[in-house]
Amino acid sequence: MLPSLLASMPMDNDWISFDVPSLIENFWSATFDGLTFGSIYALVALGYTLVYGVLNLINFAHSEVFIMGCFGVWFTLSALNFGPSAPHLGFWAIVGNLILALVVGMIVSALTAVIVERVAYRPLRRRNAPRLAFLITAIGVSFSIQYLLYLWRGPSPERALTMFHPTPIFDVFGTIIDSQQIVIVVAAVIMMIVIDLFISRSRTGRGIRAVAQDPDTATLMGVNKERIIMTTFIIGGILAGAAALFYTMKIPSGVQYNGGFILGIKAFAAAVLGGIGNVRGALVGGLLLGLIGNYGQILLGNSQWTDVVAFLVLVLVLILRPQGVLGSSLGRSKA
Amino acid sequence: MTLLELNNVSVHYGRIQAIKDMSFTVEEGEIVSLIGANGAGKTTTMKTISGLLNPSSGSIRFAGEDITKMKAHIRVVQGISQAPEGRGIFPGMTVMENLDMGAYGRKDRSGMAADIDRVFDLFPRLLERQKQLGGTMSGGEQQMLAIGRALMSNPKLLLLDEPSMGLAPQFIRQIFKIITEINSQGTTVLLVEQNANQALARAHRAFVLETGEITHSGTGKELLANPAIKEAYLGVG
Ligand SMILES: Nc1ncnc2c1ncn2[C@@H]1O[C@H](COP(=O)(O)OP(=O)(O)O)[C@@H](O)[C@H]1O
Ligand SMILES: [Mg+2]
Repeated sequence: MLPSLLASMPMDNDWISFDVPSLIENFWSATFDGLTFGSIYALVALGYTLVYGVLNLINFAHSEVFIMGCFGVWFTLSALNFGPSAPHLGFWAIVGNLILALVVGMIVSALTAVIVERVAYRPLRRRNAPRLAFLITAIGVSFSIQYLLYLWRGPSPERALTMFHPTPIFDVFGTIIDSQQIVIVVAAVIMMIVIDLFISRSRTGRGIRAVAQDPDTATLMGVNKERIIMTTFIIGGILAGAAALFYTMKIPSGVQYNGGFILGIKAFAAAVLGGIGNVRGALVGGLLLGLIGNYGQILLGNSQWTDVVAFLVLVLVLILRPQGVLGSSLGRSKA
Repeated sequence: MTLLELNNVSVHYGRIQAIKDMSFTVEEGEIVSLIGANGAGKTTTMKTISGLLNPSSGSIRFAGEDITKMKAHIRVVQGISQAPEGRGIFPGMTVMENLDMGAYGRKDRSGMAADIDRVFDLFPRLLERQKQLGGTMSGGEQQMLAIGRALMSNPKLLLLDEPSMGLAPQFIRQIFKIITEINSQGTTVLLVEQNANQALARAHRAFVLETGEITHSGTGKELLANPAIKEAYLGVG
């Protein structure tokens, strides 16, 4: 039976091959593009990490918080007459429109996150529900939002939107870095730095770290735990909304009811890779995952390999260093 | 004036009743000790006063106000501050950050500055160790930090849950001395201890707790002299 099964499979010997020259040739473009995707993973990863930090909960609905932001971005830009080809607008008009879309994306994602926390998680907390109930609820909420979107918008992706045509900016070792890559990486890194400073320096940030380390003692200090929890959902939502704009910029046809699923898993993997609960870990994990996926894809010559390689590396890292690259504690993530 | 008043308070964990119809008062300016064996319900009582646990029946009044339904983080602002059992130091925060956490609900910067001076006066060690991570300090230092942190909200009532737990004898004497000093500066103290000797010697009044009920009460001296209590809680000494 096994031989006949094998015979029925395409067994040419090159189902896997290593294209080293291609990797060397395309190394820099793979690097820049990997960092671009990695920045998007990192922004979404922060939402997983923050909520995990304060609630010890993997918020599986975070992928839908993200995709809701994508829909917010898409509707905003459609209303502003963006279409499959970039609109003929001046530089500042485009910037203004994109900032508007960014803000809408952030609001929609943050609202989604708040509603999920209020409707699904808070009632469970009130009842002291067991861990497993939270996990099942998280998965249930994720699917519910997906299929509500399906019922509303149908199975196919929304019409592609081009925000602007990337223009070459730098030439690094013969490889062009374009304006789109720069916008995404720079904006994402700035946001991550702002959040890192907020968590390590501000009063609310100290409250978040206190709840992450010891919720009861934090309450004894006068911290309103419920408000801190809500704040972390809002921050995660805002960052997911930003990621939504950049993702739609990079993948114009990615706005689809289930479009958050794979990205969510990768962002979660990035959070685990960097050390779940660790703010800087989310950045490092996201960038690493973006790079590894891209190198793997070129080395193995097929885009199907991106995720395989990324997750193999994740598994390897977790075997060697289960706490992730930077270790896992929101409490310890201080400047 | 009565600062704290528990009236027929019962507390349950699920179906298990940990506190049964407990009533007692703490007067302003007192040190009141609550002594009892492991599992008697001391920590449960403290958490119910600070608001981490809700009574299943009965009521709690603080400074003339019914606080039975008040949220824990509001009670801190109202003047109840607890140094929890096991100290509850935030391990990833520095000594200074831990102290700042104690003043989380406050906005009056001048008052906070005065309180940090008071804490550093009481615990000079904390001044030296400001930048050290809380988790890397010794047990005795952590207990000082826990008490100092609890003082940072400038409480009317300080709740101390077994401050001597796990400390070397010279540290225990020092901690109790400082508790008396804090009290003499005007802070009312409710102290929970298994270390009954010191707790009774330092207390104005004291209660003995057995399986969720108060079985003895009196001045610290009276309870120290009571043969039944000597036998049960004071060992040979
Ligand atoms: N979280 C909990 N769940 C169930 N039972 C508890 C819990 N915490 C304490 N108890 C029980 O309540 C009783 C009182 O505990 P506690 O207040 O911690 O006593 P003490 O501080 O005097 O040692 C004990 O029988 C203990 O087992
Ligand atoms: Mg106890």
